[in-house]
Amino acid sequence: MFFIPGQVIALLTFPGVIIHETAHLFFCKLFKLKVFNVCFFRFGNPAGYVIHENSENFTAQFFVSMGPFVVNTVLCVVFCTAAFLPVWELKVNDPLAYFYYWLGLSIGMHAFPSTTDLSHVWKAAPPLAKKGNLLAIVSLPLSAVLVVLNYGRVIWADLGYGIAVGVLGPIAIFRALARM
Amino acid sequence: MSQVSCCDCSKTVSGGEAYESNGKVYCAPCVQAAAERAKAAGQPVAVARYVDKSICARCNTYIGEGGGIAVGNARLCPGCSERVQDWPYPQWLKLSLAGLLFLLAFALLHGRKYFQAGKDLYRGEQLVEKGRYQEALPYLKATMKLAPNSDKGALLTAKAALLSGDVLTAAKVLESHDNGRFENADKPEFQEVKRLWNNANAAFDKLEKAGKLEAEDGHEVEAAKLVHEAVAIYPQIPQANILVDEYDEGVAFAKKDYDAFLALAERDWNLLQASRTAAMISSALACKYAVSGEAAYRQRSEEMLAKAKELAHGDKESLDRLAEFEERNRYRLDSRQILSKTEYDKKFRSTKNTGK
Repeated sequence: MFFIPGQVIALLTFPGVIIHETAHLFFCKLFKLKVFNVCFFRFGNPAGYVIHENSENFTAQFFVSMGPFVVNTVLCVVFCTAAFLPVWELKVNDPLAYFYYWLGLSIGMHAFPSTTDLSHVWKAAPPLAKKGNLLAIVSLPLSAVLVVLNYGRVIWADLGYGIAVGVLGPIAIFRALARM
Repeated sequence: MSQVSCCDCSKTVSGGEAYESNGKVYCAPCVQAAAERAKAAGQPVAVARYVDKSICARCNTYIGEGGGIAVGNARLCPGCSERVQDWPYPQWLKLSLAGLLFLLAFALLHGRKYFQAGKDLYRGEQLVEKGRYQEALPYLKATMKLAPNSDKGALLTAKAALLSGDVLTAAKVLESHDNGRFENADKPEFQEVKRLWNNANAAFDKLEKAGKLEAEDGHEVEAAKLVHEAVAIYPQIPQANILVDEYDEGVAFAKKDYDAFLALAERDWNLLQASRTAAMISSALACKYAVSGEAAYRQRSEEMLAKAKELAHGDKESLDRLAEFEERNRYRLDSRQILSKTEYDKKFRSTKNTGK
């Protein structure tokens, strides 16, 4: 295992940081939450942030917190799918494909919500889950896994997730397409 | 930041060092005591940093007491309030996202050929997994046209080709793939193709030796044994059953067991109605006529020869082979003497032809 400072990783994968914060902002706007400040990218820790008001609405809380996870994952799959075949399966030397793969992996690497985002969901979900709120029920195991993965960043869990999504996603898509 | 006065001790402190609890302003040392008193009295305990409501909480613009718009515990100037209510996407972000969408559209357009090749690859892979090797080959060949260096594609194509008996395609694919080099020779897929390839080569070596032996009289049994071994090693040899039978027919002919010869020839004809199987029946029937003198055999032999010619129509190689055979068969029918090709060549032909 080798250590690379977080700021260097953020710089190398800056599109993922920007997409992550844009997703937070998008869901804040969607649920009409007040946004006090936004930083899409900076050399610091965290590399980006969105400061917004807390919401009593769990759906809003869930989507604002988990939004980047969904958006970054989907975009990672989309861009990696565009590049997966020439890079992995066909072994065609197409520079554009490698660019798309970098873009896809950069976005995928920044899919995990921060532990602060997850803690909001984690605190609000249990009483609602007891009442049978499906989103709250789903959010509990999801938050637990994401918290673990978040801590796993020190052993490159974020890169591992990006690669897994960027490889397994396209394989699933193309296998399904081939059956059609 | 403005100066405020602690409601407990009346000390004047800066707004940044003050706290609020139950609507009253305290300095840092007093707020804890106030919170404990409230708790003891059964009142709610809520302590927060003091927010100076006379200035905008975002941009520090003076808005006066009761001015601006309340947002939670803070007050904002109209400009900041509007921004906070509906934070705009920056122009550069909009342009970047538009660029990203354009890139994506271009990627999909640019990648069409890859998608088709990939779809063919996966379709081929699925057919290979189902054991439908011949059906898989056209898909895999199409993939290899675009991606000759794909390890997966080359191994799947070679496997499908070898298991369909198409050794030439397998050879072509393996040789054109990165000069025959593969990333990981320990992979089971590679090892499987290697085993199939080695089997096919060993089988074709045996067939080559069998072909040479068959051309010489007296080695029919040895030749047939090699062909049986070849088919056992590599059962995918095209029309392996017929090939084995043809060599067994050679053995029956050498042993003058013309009933067995005819039975094998008729079995092959039932398996494959082609010029060469028709000619074999004609030959066996001519032998039966030669030893029995029954006209029905002669008539059927001539009919099957005509059938062989009809089936060879347009195929120069088959027609040439039939012309050579017809001469010997005619001699067999007319003289009722059974000569092997070698014997016939020795007796009547000046040039030596070792072909079957």
